[in-house]
Amino acid sequence: MRALHTAATGMKAQELNVQVISNNIANMRTTGYKRQRAEFQDLLYEHVRRVGTQTSDQGNQLPAGIELGAGVKTVGTPRLMTQGSLVQTGKDYDVAIRGEGFFQITLPDGRTAYSRDGSFELDSQGRIVTAQGNVVNPGLTLPQNATSVTINAQGQVSAAVPGNTTPSVIGQIQLAMFINKAGLQGIGDNLYLETPASGAPQVGNPNQDSFGNLQQGNLEQANVEAVSEISDLIAAQRAYEMNAKVITATDQMLQSTSQMLR
Amino acid sequence: MENHSLVGLSRQIAVSRELDVVANNIANVNTTGYKSSNTVFHEFLMPGARSNQFRGGDRLVSFVQDRATWTDFSQGSVQPTGNPLDVAISGNAFLTVQTPRGERYTRNGALQINSQGQLVTSEGLQVVGTSGPIAFQPNDRDISIGIDGTISVREGQNTTDAQRGKLKLASFAAPRLLQKDGTSTYTAPAGVTAQEPSPDAKVTQGAIEKSNVNSVTEMTRMVEITRTYTQIAQILQNHSDMRRTALDKLSEVPTS
Repeated sequence: MRALHTAATGMKAQELNVQVISNNIANMRTTGYKRQRAEFQDLLYEHVRRVGTQTSDQGNQLPAGIELGAGVKTVGTPRLMTQGSLVQTGKDYDVAIRGEGFFQITLPDGRTAYSRDGSFELDSQGRIVTAQGNVVNPGLTLPQNATSVTINAQGQVSAAVPGNTTPSVIGQIQLAMFINKAGLQGIGDNLYLETPASGAPQVGNPNQDSFGNLQQGNLEQANVEAVSEISDLIAAQRAYEMNAKVITATDQMLQSTSQMLR
Repeated sequence: MENHSLVGLSRQIAVSRELDVVANNIANVNTTGYKSSNTVFHEFLMPGARSNQFRGGDRLVSFVQDRATWTDFSQGSVQPTGNPLDVAISGNAFLTVQTPRGERYTRNGALQINSQGQLVTSEGLQVVGTSGPIAFQPNDRDISIGIDGTISVREGQNTTDAQRGKLKLASFAAPRLLQKDGTSTYTAPAGVTAQEPSPDAKVTQGAIEKSNVNSVTEMTRMVEITRTYTQIAQILQNHSDMRRTALDKLSEVPTS
């Protein structure tokens, strides 16, 4: 019976749905995390009797045919790149992006990754790095004797040095923007890579053109909403159970068929 | 085989096909924009040799045939998502999408932007606007989709809106004639043409239309299907037992 396989596709889809939701919930407190959503579509249809078929010489047409569907499939788990809320940390090297754009991070192998996570630190050479120690592009080095650092909304980094009344400008943090940011590939560690689907990055200064501005001493929280995740989880779980019931029902029917033969 | 077995068989075939339809509905209970399918049965009277002239003439034997499935196009519930590229359509209207096989229609409004800046479905099919494809510029922000499908954006630091096209909504006089394609799209068969969107059609941004499958109804139908199927199996069983008993009894040779 076809229903068995149809229900199996439903169970598989809901299992994946629960997996996506649980990843969202697990990352509820991850800085700069963007939630994912499982997208489903119906699978193929078998047209046993095609709608609109002529049924007589007089031109009568079938008003409805027989379409038997084969279940459901997952088309993707796109990220929803909406703004997360900002939380104040007061830490000098915490930077949040308010609006469009990604920080550019240089990976150890030379590639550039993109991130919304602005919880930066200094390494032993005074460079601004991510929590994993990857250099924030373009590598900015603070003087050893710097007492405080200021990152303004335009991304300008300046440091106060003892004996100098005016802080000296060290460099400029630039952001990258993508036409299809949902097409970026997540590689973990809050990092994304460019893909053919995302398009090429466009680099610019914060607070210019469509780029968002930087907020020093703030971090962007995950855009996961607990209430909607939990209600999605309930819906997914119930859908899974219902599909399991279809399998039980089909099994019962097959059993009664096999018992007919004695 | 006798008629009762064949009548029972016709019902069992019809019922198992109904289960296929119900199973597909349940599998798509969480599919955005899915519309549930239903089955229609009719009675099929056995033609052929019979005589109705005698008093107490031959009774017509009627079989069950599953004649059609129809799609229930009623509104699914609208779930807010907060994603600016999600649209939910209410009323009799469909989004028009471009596929390699021509224009198709869908109620699945979980849209995205591809690397060329074009508005596409989650499968990458281009969403058709009233004047060609809809494309965004790299520096567009604050995308807003109006109630009639008009798309406006703010370009760069501009403070005035720029138009990026309008979603081409299609309505049908008889949506039931549409054919399910899979992948959440519908095909209009020959002779069925899309019309201007009906006045009740409305686009809601930041929400998606959930599947209109009513899980309670589907579960009830499934219980009914299983019970009917087992009942018929039981009837067929009883008949076969009866026949066997008859054979046994009739073949008994009197000993005296």
